[in-house]
Amino acid sequence: MLRITNLVKCYGNDKAVLSDLDLEVPGESCVAIIGASGAGKSTLLRCINRLVEPTSGSIELNGVNLTQLRGSALRGARRRIGMIFQSFNLIDRLTVMENVLSGRLGYVPFWRAAARRFPQQDIDRAFHLMERVGIAHYANKRADELSGGERQRVGVVRALMQEPEILLADEPTASLDPKTSMQIMELLRSLSEEYRLPVLINIHNVQEAKEYTQRIVGMRFGRIIFDGLPSDLDADAMDKVYAGVPAAERQGAEGGIAAGAAV
Amino acid sequence: MSNQNAASAPLPRRTWRKPPFIANPAIRWGIIILSIVYIVWALATLPFDWVRIQEGLPRAARIFSSAFPPDLKRPGLVLDGLMETLRIAILATILGVGASIPIAFMAASNLAPRPIYLLGRGIIIVARSFHPVIVAIVFVKAVGFGPLAGILTLAIYSIGFVAKMLAERIEEIDWGQVEALRAAGAGYFITLIYAVLPQIMPRQIGLTIYQFDSNLRASAVVGIVGAGGIGATLMNAFRRYDYDFALAITLIIIAAILVSEAISGRIRRKIW
Repeated sequence: MLRITNLVKCYGNDKAVLSDLDLEVPGESCVAIIGASGAGKSTLLRCINRLVEPTSGSIELNGVNLTQLRGSALRGARRRIGMIFQSFNLIDRLTVMENVLSGRLGYVPFWRAAARRFPQQDIDRAFHLMERVGIAHYANKRADELSGGERQRVGVVRALMQEPEILLADEPTASLDPKTSMQIMELLRSLSEEYRLPVLINIHNVQEAKEYTQRIVGMRFGRIIFDGLPSDLDADAMDKVYAGVPAAERQGAEGGIAAGAAV
Repeated sequence: MSNQNAASAPLPRRTWRKPPFIANPAIRWGIIILSIVYIVWALATLPFDWVRIQEGLPRAARIFSSAFPPDLKRPGLVLDGLMETLRIAILATILGVGASIPIAFMAASNLAPRPIYLLGRGIIIVARSFHPVIVAIVFVKAVGFGPLAGILTLAIYSIGFVAKMLAERIEEIDWGQVEALRAAGAGYFITLIYAVLPQIMPRQIGLTIYQFDSNLRASAVVGIVGAGGIGATLMNAFRRYDYDFALAITLIIIAAILVSEAISGRIRRKIW
């Protein structure tokens, strides 16, 4: 169970990127977050695992308030939050297996990790998960030799290696072609059921969102202005989420995001 | 668009001059005149002893003529010197590059906290600010004549270059990979090893090979001030007025450097 209350994020003295945002995600559900660029989708996900520091408000994951954690407590909490990225963010020059095992870096002691001496159960788990998503035969290939879809699968397995309590996917299919992109969405949906995980997916493709998730959250100017079933997202709601964003305001919001990405 | 321009201009302009490099004519001419005045003044005030130069020219000619033909009289001595130079260069490269890696991490502004960053940059600036010959003179005074002074000198010389270039490479890394591991709850140092080291590895290897090359060249020079190696052998030949032997040694040094540059150039092209 993820519970976000009164979440505010401002970059510098600019207008808030997230203002007074409330969101509750019960276990085992696939939630799509849609909204124009600069609506604050990315910032929202990054606040959850504290890649971005929230300005105020609280984020509770299974009873732990994430916003107050420091140092090793924060790292401990991050281990339980898997993240999947738009540009995969794999370590290009390392092997697929090393990338997958890097999901265990929060658990394994420094020297064992540095020497690539991972515990047997981690290696078993890695092979099992890679088998599950169909990349086990790539274990010793370099990550940058794989195709986009395969690389995103590595990204997904790396996140699952963390034994996460929640998965955050920041536009996981935006760099993929339509077919692989659907495969990845299907994979995320089935993994969510299999591992009884809540999955939050930032996504631009509304069709995919409707098809593969059970709930859609529409964001605009850092607020949630739609929250409902995919079938409830009619043209009217779509207009509210996407249409008529004044250029000046949009620029302000996007500037904020860009500044955040640089931090 | 071009038609419109042609129509609005009453007369087509047919002359064009490159705009001057310095737009303000007063500043432009001021700089030109000042430079000329300074050069004339500098030449006029430096103590050139033309008589001495005239006397010296035939002496220089005598030295050069006595150096021909070059004579490799004591090949054993040259070989020993060359091997010592090679050992100095290898050890200095290992030591210098080994020290450069942590210093480069310290001096990368995207990874290091501000005070550590300043310390790292400070070390690099100090290591770069003196020519190896000056450093060698200090080390020869400190640890005595011989290869140890050479190794320490070239290690510092290596830090100045390798750490600087490596720090710049670290500042260019793809931050997404670091972010991914931070998001997985990985600690700071293991993140450096997993997300940063693989990204800078090709540059690291290329720099190491280049620096070895550079150290080989420099070790011949610092040998002249007493830091061991083939440079010391060369200096001894000069002191004994053994000019033909000195020329032979010089040619050997040039040959050794050419060979090492050819090999390292080939390896670096393969990696980069």
